[in-house]
Amino acid sequence: MSTSTGLEKDSTMSKRRGQFIASPISGQEIVLLAVIAILWLLLWWATPAFLTAGSIQPLLIEVAPIAVIGIGMTLVIISAGIDVSVGSAMMVCGVVTARLLVESGISLPLALLVAVGIGAVLGAMNGVLIAWGRVHAIIITFGTLNVFQFIGRQIFGSETVNGIPPTLELFGRGEPGRTFGAPHSFLLMALIAAAAWWYLRQTPGGRHYYAIGGDHEAAELAGVRVRRRVLLAYIVTGALVGLAAIFTIAKGTATLDQSIGFGKELAVIAAVVIGGTSIMGGRGSVLGTVLGALLVQTVTSGVTQIGWPSQLSDLFVGLFVIIAVGADLLRQRARRDR
Amino acid sequence: MARRVAAPAVADTFRSAAEGAIELSSTGAAQPRLSMSNVSKRYGAVRAIRHANLVVEPGTVHALVGENGAGKSTLIKILSGAVTADTGTIEFEGERAQITSTTDAIALGIATVYQEPQLFAELSVAENIYLGRELRSGPRINWAAQNAHVVELLELLGLQPEIATKPVGDLSIATQQQVSIAKALSGDAEVLILDEPSAILTDAEIDVLFEVVRRLTGSGVAVIYISHRLDELFRIADEVTVMRDGSTIGTHPIEDLSVRQIAELMVGGILTDEQTQRQVPPGDPQLTLTSLGHKGKFQDVSLSVRPGEIVGLYGLVGSGVSEIADTIYGIEPATAGEIVVAGNVVRPTSPQHAQKLGIALLPANRKLQGMFSFQPIAFNISVGHLRLLSRFKVWMDRGRERAVSRELIARLAVKTPHERVPIGAMSGGNAQKVVLARQLVHRPDVLVLAEPTHGVDVGAKEEIHRIIAELAEAGTAVLMVTSDLPEALRIADRLLVVRNGTIVAEFGADATQVDVLAAAAGAQDEMEANR
Amino acid sequence: MTSTPAAPPTTAAEPPDNGYDDKTPRLSSRMIRAVLTQREVLLVILTVVVLIWMSALSYGGYLTGPYNSDYLSASLVDAVPLTMLALAELLVIVSGRGGIDLSIGAIVSLTGMAFGFAYGDWAWPLVVAIPFAVLVGALLGAVNGVLVAWLEFPALITTLATYYAYKSLALVINAQQPISTPEIQDLYSLTSSVEIPLIGHNIPDVPLGVFTFLIPVVVAVWLLLQRTTYGRRLFAIGTNDVAARWSGVPVAGTRIRAYIFAGVLAGLVAVYMTGQFASARPDAGTSGNGLALPAITIAVLGGVAITGGIGRVSGVLLAALLITWLNAGILLLFEGNQGTQLQLLALGAVLIFAALLNSYTTRKYGGTR
Repeated sequence: MSTSTGLEKDSTMSKRRGQFIASPISGQEIVLLAVIAILWLLLWWATPAFLTAGSIQPLLIEVAPIAVIGIGMTLVIISAGIDVSVGSAMMVCGVVTARLLVESGISLPLALLVAVGIGAVLGAMNGVLIAWGRVHAIIITFGTLNVFQFIGRQIFGSETVNGIPPTLELFGRGEPGRTFGAPHSFLLMALIAAAAWWYLRQTPGGRHYYAIGGDHEAAELAGVRVRRRVLLAYIVTGALVGLAAIFTIAKGTATLDQSIGFGKELAVIAAVVIGGTSIMGGRGSVLGTVLGALLVQTVTSGVTQIGWPSQLSDLFVGLFVIIAVGADLLRQRARRDR
Repeated sequence: MARRVAAPAVADTFRSAAEGAIELSSTGAAQPRLSMSNVSKRYGAVRAIRHANLVVEPGTVHALVGENGAGKSTLIKILSGAVTADTGTIEFEGERAQITSTTDAIALGIATVYQEPQLFAELSVAENIYLGRELRSGPRINWAAQNAHVVELLELLGLQPEIATKPVGDLSIATQQQVSIAKALSGDAEVLILDEPSAILTDAEIDVLFEVVRRLTGSGVAVIYISHRLDELFRIADEVTVMRDGSTIGTHPIEDLSVRQIAELMVGGILTDEQTQRQVPPGDPQLTLTSLGHKGKFQDVSLSVRPGEIVGLYGLVGSGVSEIADTIYGIEPATAGEIVVAGNVVRPTSPQHAQKLGIALLPANRKLQGMFSFQPIAFNISVGHLRLLSRFKVWMDRGRERAVSRELIARLAVKTPHERVPIGAMSGGNAQKVVLARQLVHRPDVLVLAEPTHGVDVGAKEEIHRIIAELAEAGTAVLMVTSDLPEALRIADRLLVVRNGTIVAEFGADATQVDVLAAAAGAQDEMEANR
Repeated sequence: MTSTPAAPPTTAAEPPDNGYDDKTPRLSSRMIRAVLTQREVLLVILTVVVLIWMSALSYGGYLTGPYNSDYLSASLVDAVPLTMLALAELLVIVSGRGGIDLSIGAIVSLTGMAFGFAYGDWAWPLVVAIPFAVLVGALLGAVNGVLVAWLEFPALITTLATYYAYKSLALVINAQQPISTPEIQDLYSLTSSVEIPLIGHNIPDVPLGVFTFLIPVVVAVWLLLQRTTYGRRLFAIGTNDVAARWSGVPVAGTRIRAYIFAGVLAGLVAVYMTGQFASARPDAGTSGNGLALPAITIAVLGGVAITGGIGRVSGVLLAALLITWLNAGILLLFEGNQGTQLQLLALGAVLIFAALLNSYTTRKYGGTR
């Protein structure tokens, strides 16, 4: 076997510079893009109104909160965790922000700060219990789901919050909420997604999440700060929940009721899993999550547009999740039998 | 022996070791890379190591051999920092060293590669190697530098540089192991410990491994190589240290010894305890294997076991011997050949099916495959034959379960106040008796025993042997897969040796340990070569 | 070449083997250990604490209604479905390999609608309609079982997906309308309280459902787990499914049955709840946060280990009673909506506490009994 000298290595090295790690888009994501494209085409054929700005813009606005939480959830699930309390956390962030908007007339930046801050604190609660408590994340977040809901309902009183000023219209449905037709919330989400994508692919911290999901004990032995990373994942998710609450308040009317965030955790988890992130940890991507959220929302919007009962969309989402998990299992089995 | 001086254009990774080698040649003084003296270690009352000395020279491959339980793995654990020695000193490059943790060992330059590669499947080879100490440029990982280093490292080891950016999960087990070695070396290792590296490799892959090892020693790295495959050692090792019963017996240059002589050292040249003379009744075999094969694991295995006979199946790790047992029991169906039970050709597809055919098996790995830890003894005994201990196959007959458990507890001399004690709290020997009892609820026609006394104390061992003999007397055909040679010779009527997935020798009850060990380790090839 | 003389062939003496490790700790730590590992003891203590506390509050006039034995007995109406679903989760969680069933509430909803169609719209007799509901539940559970046990899908995400699917089917199947024909409304009597014969005037009336649903189910599940071969197999696969395989236990088959039994129990709950609400509601098991959450909470509180292989009917029953009576008390302590919200908080806090406790006792003592 030959050994190359230093000089000869330069040419091979420069080839390597171009391929840092696996290609930025995976097979599953291409399939997702294709499925979304096909669905859009089918829907357009069924209801020609579908591919107009009037339909696509609301769709993107609806996607934004789910996808943005999904970014954090991707981190959580890659490191083999889960968080079912995000819906309830969104309620807390939403109600506090809404009430401050109504009662104290706070500004947009302050509202952002409040929402994101509260979300981060709630996320930290989860993170601490999970990282240090040695109890499985599903149980902890089941518990905090209830606790957060209690807190949220308490703050709501038994009423709705009325008279929310248009402070947040930058993220809203109307003209001020768009640039070149693209909703700001969606754009901001895409920006954050890009940052997260970069983080997961290019920084040591990001790569460590994959190690933790693969084998957290081996990761610990290798010098990865497992508990810190896990805590961070839940805090980030919480912060993004706060942002999602802002998006949700902005896209709604001047009234906020207690249904905010309700059941959203399922949509988020479905988006992440459909996007190709393995529920068992160790593999996943933010791009997949965004596509997954697009798919879930396409199904939801599409079902209503065609005129089918809206609840049917849940059925389809469930089926898509099963297919995605099945595909992931097949992939793992193929690798194991190598 | 020739000591190769490191070439000038050598990578950073080996520079320190290389400089060490050059230094040695110039001063001429022999400074061992590593030396252990008077090391001992006990776990409770069990002395895993009584007295161990080891001197490893730089740029050499130092083999460490010994039977199971001789203390090799404990010695390695001490060096790698996983456990601390009770007594004795360790010197590194002539200076006293304290190794109290794995980080200490790595900091010192001692890297260990275990059998199972501990890598992260989704990350690339380069990422795995640099995990926890990534090269950065600002907040990002400096892929160019990292990959370049890894490519260099791989090329120096004679491995394919392209794998640097591939996810580890996509690589074969052998390649993953090579990556483990690269990872161990990436931290300026000066001593590399390889624990049974060839067990999972094919012949071609072993060649590559040896190439890598030669390059390493060429750069001055000291390699400690643990293996049961004595024939291999002659291809790669410079010196060999034999351990027996917790002590290092001696160190010799490899060319001074033959496989047989090493075997003699491992065993001690003493005759084993007297073997019981047994009469095996004549008759048709209960179990016959005809050219049985499982692709990649074993091939062309033929044997037969008569009722009342105890046939031993002896093979080293990776010889395929445990896979043969698995196939008979239906865990992995055969891809070639036939299994015949009581005259009928059968094809067991699951343990359940095997049981219906009258085949029982005592699993090799008690904790993983045999024990239901927090369940009581009675549960552990009855779980193998729930239908037998029930009414109408559905309703548990707890009275019978209790009676049967008590009877078996008495018969196997299980030390316990009653049958409701959870098995998890029991010592190895007792737990093993309980798992064995499970197979005896209904006396099987064929009983396959996989490592029946592994991790079992001497007293329990005797008792288990007694039970096995009794079973044979009662008419069971016993096939015993074991890597405990004295045990095999003690109670087996015939002993078949498996190597490289096929039966290479058969011995009668009068064989000596040395003969068998030599056959298993490849002395036959040696003898053939010397003809 | 000479070989070094052999070491004398003695092996180190081991300590006398009395069968297992044995250390005798102090009395106080033994008592703590007993309370922590015997989950029933802890639950009884907690229940007594709750009863005393609530009764004291009642006596002091802080409650909006009397917290007496009549009230406690009447509140058992809610204990019936909760206990049954918690037993369903017990079966699934004990089966191991991350077993859990998040879809149990949705199975209740969908099976309830099926029962509503059968008994209400198609006018089948009750003796046919009830087995029909049970059969539907079994089928829905079997879908979970096949995916998790045969195809080896992770239980969490799978039952999350089937939750979605079943929930939407229940809503869509009758255009979100509940079914409440006169026959169904008559079923309400199934859940009313009755006076126990003979000793009835000395003790409060007990809801009929306790006798017609709860007790038979509790007894049946207990017998299944403790007295049948199936129960042994279930504990075997939950404790160590590799060893179970090597012992000849049919792992996949046993596991599928656990999910099927869970579906069966959900079907029975659906029948009961149809009677309780006098209508077959499409959101019976999925309104609010759904019934899976309290069911799992009660199971975990009752000592079921989330990793499998450990769990007892007695623990689950006691935990259900504790939660029921605690919730009943909270309703009296806080009016209306506040009360429901505090129940939520209590449930969440209890779950986290119980899980932390289970984890601690498993690490320190090797599990609860």
